[in-house]
Amino acid sequence: MKVRGTVEFRDVEMGVWVLVAEDGRTYQITGGRSSLLKEGQRVEIDGDVDDGAMGIAMVGPILKVRSHRVV
Amino acid sequence: MRSLWCLLGIVCLLAACAPQPVRTKVTVRGDARASAVPHALVVDFRDGTPASEVAERARRWGLPLRLNSVEGVRSGIAIAEGVDDVDAALSRIRGDAEVEEAEPLVQMEALAFTPNDPEFPKQWNLRMIHMPEAWERSRGKGVVVAVIDTGIAYEDRGDFVRVPDLAGARFADGYDFVNDTEHPNDDNGHGTHVAGTIAQRTNNGVGVAGVAFEARLMPLKVLDRSGIGNSADIADAIRWAADHGAKVLNLSLGGPGYSAVMERAVAYARQKGAVVVCAAGNAGIGQVSYPAAYAGAVAVGAVGPDGKLAPYSSWGEALDLIAPGGNTRLGPGNGILQATIDRADFRKPVLAEYQGTSMATPHVAGVAALLFAAGARTPDEVEKSLFAGAESEGAWTPKAGHGRLDARGALEALGKGAAPVDWAPLIWSAALLGLLLLSLKVKVRPGYLNVLLNPATLLPLLLSTVGLWFLKLLWQRFVGHPPAAAEVLSLPIPDWERILFGRGRLASPLMYSALVPGLAALFAVRWRALRPVVAGLALGFAGFLLYAAWAKAPGIAYLPFTFLARPWLVVNGIVAALVCRSMLRREARR
Repeated sequence: MKVRGTVEFRDVEMGVWVLVAEDGRTYQITGGRSSLLKEGQRVEIDGDVDDGAMGIAMVGPILKVRSHRVV
Repeated sequence: MRSLWCLLGIVCLLAACAPQPVRTKVTVRGDARASAVPHALVVDFRDGTPASEVAERARRWGLPLRLNSVEGVRSGIAIAEGVDDVDAALSRIRGDAEVEEAEPLVQMEALAFTPNDPEFPKQWNLRMIHMPEAWERSRGKGVVVAVIDTGIAYEDRGDFVRVPDLAGARFADGYDFVNDTEHPNDDNGHGTHVAGTIAQRTNNGVGVAGVAFEARLMPLKVLDRSGIGNSADIADAIRWAADHGAKVLNLSLGGPGYSAVMERAVAYARQKGAVVVCAAGNAGIGQVSYPAAYAGAVAVGAVGPDGKLAPYSSWGEALDLIAPGGNTRLGPGNGILQATIDRADFRKPVLAEYQGTSMATPHVAGVAALLFAAGARTPDEVEKSLFAGAESEGAWTPKAGHGRLDARGALEALGKGAAPVDWAPLIWSAALLGLLLLSLKVKVRPGYLNVLLNPATLLPLLLSTVGLWFLKLLWQRFVGHPPAAAEVLSLPIPDWERILFGRGRLASPLMYSALVPGLAALFAVRWRALRPVVAGLALGFAGFLLYAAWAKAPGIAYLPFTFLARPWLVVNGIVAALVCRSMLRREARR
């Protein structure tokens, strides 16, 4: 699936990068290239939500990034 | 008419005698231990008694009396030590006109334990939950607490290091479900931080303190280096912990996805006698994440040093407690400080300040361990003490649950044994019965007290107001862990559903309504013999619901607005009362 939104860093737990999507949902970002992780960057991410995954961040569904492009 | 007024008076009196609901907890706690100092007494002279007068009396009484301090000149407080017979001396002194009071000298000793860990002063979180006082009662000795997380930095092995402030801490055998090894070392830092809050080595002159520092930590690694894992590993670890003697399970993890496998694992652990404590989530939304939201779990939200819900903390219908989780927006020093390993290099021990509901959760897990060590036997008992001892402003709310964790309060609540039965609904029902009988014409009135003498009425009345409260207590005393049926019957009927489908949260609008007595009344239309039974049931419901409305407890589920709960309870209480009235009247016509 493709999600558009803004990349943000959240200072909870050990710190976590999230994508705040245009529909208001917040995804925890995993994987992808390091160029994705820039505060405030508007991107479109191509990836999959892992429904069975859980973690320490607990900010929203975990989005496994295949690729991204800056928009 | 006069008798009517008399009865009304009695009814009002009964209602006034009903126990007041606890809105704000006012507690007077013994924070000091008092013991008499041998051969010593204290005399309080009238204010302004000159020193010469005191000396004169000391000679007369044959006592080595001296003013206690420079303040003694004004306060008139003097002490005497080395007195052979304190009682005899006191009886001599007490007759004197210049003496206001005389008594044995008492040693006051603060009932609090302050550990010598150098960074302890920075642990506002431990003071917030009254750990220094709680440590005087319990330190969690021997209780196994499973930390289901990224592992714990508990051994020097290969690249892995043990955090210095865990040296000497006690560990139970654990497991690494991510790499399938028996060495669940931490390669992230999260699990070690969480474990530190539970049982950091304390009073060792190193680093920081932990809540239940005599407990045993069971490291279970289910999350990888990036802090992510899957529901299968987590469910496995939950069952593993319960099977290997863990009494408390700490899950500072979560996700938005429901998993039946994990829900069953949580239920399994609880049924095995373990308390499952989970983080409510960091999405800052009105929905608690899983596994915290499962019925068998204790869901923990986070507060900052100001005691307010932290902006990141999730909350909602499933929330049970709030505990210190930090709020770094308030500046440095406002997170939770604990020993762990560097997040960039897991070979490097550090003291780190983090914030999150993950940090709040181990405070609750630690206090649960204190409760088990202090004599609690079942998860139910632990949870009730946690909830009853929490600092709250009254009933459960979606943003505070049962209130803010208080270790001292929880231990005190445990000391009080089983929660006392709330007799108020029964008293309200009795008062209501008086009113209902008065509202009936003499011709159709079935009498007064004799209504209650009928077991067919009395039993359903008791069941719907206080439940068979003695059943569970007897079971625990003579048989052991009570089965679900005994637990259910021990509660008033409107609360049955909360045991069957989830504890202590919002009440169901179907059970907290006139539905049950209303349906029963339909049957009584056909079978007249049921009428005394339905009368008792409806009377109980009416008293229960009206009392609940008056006491502002609890919240009702599925209502569009919270404020509708009280009108709902009042209307349904009145309907139940009318059902009772019609049952009483028809009975009388027969």
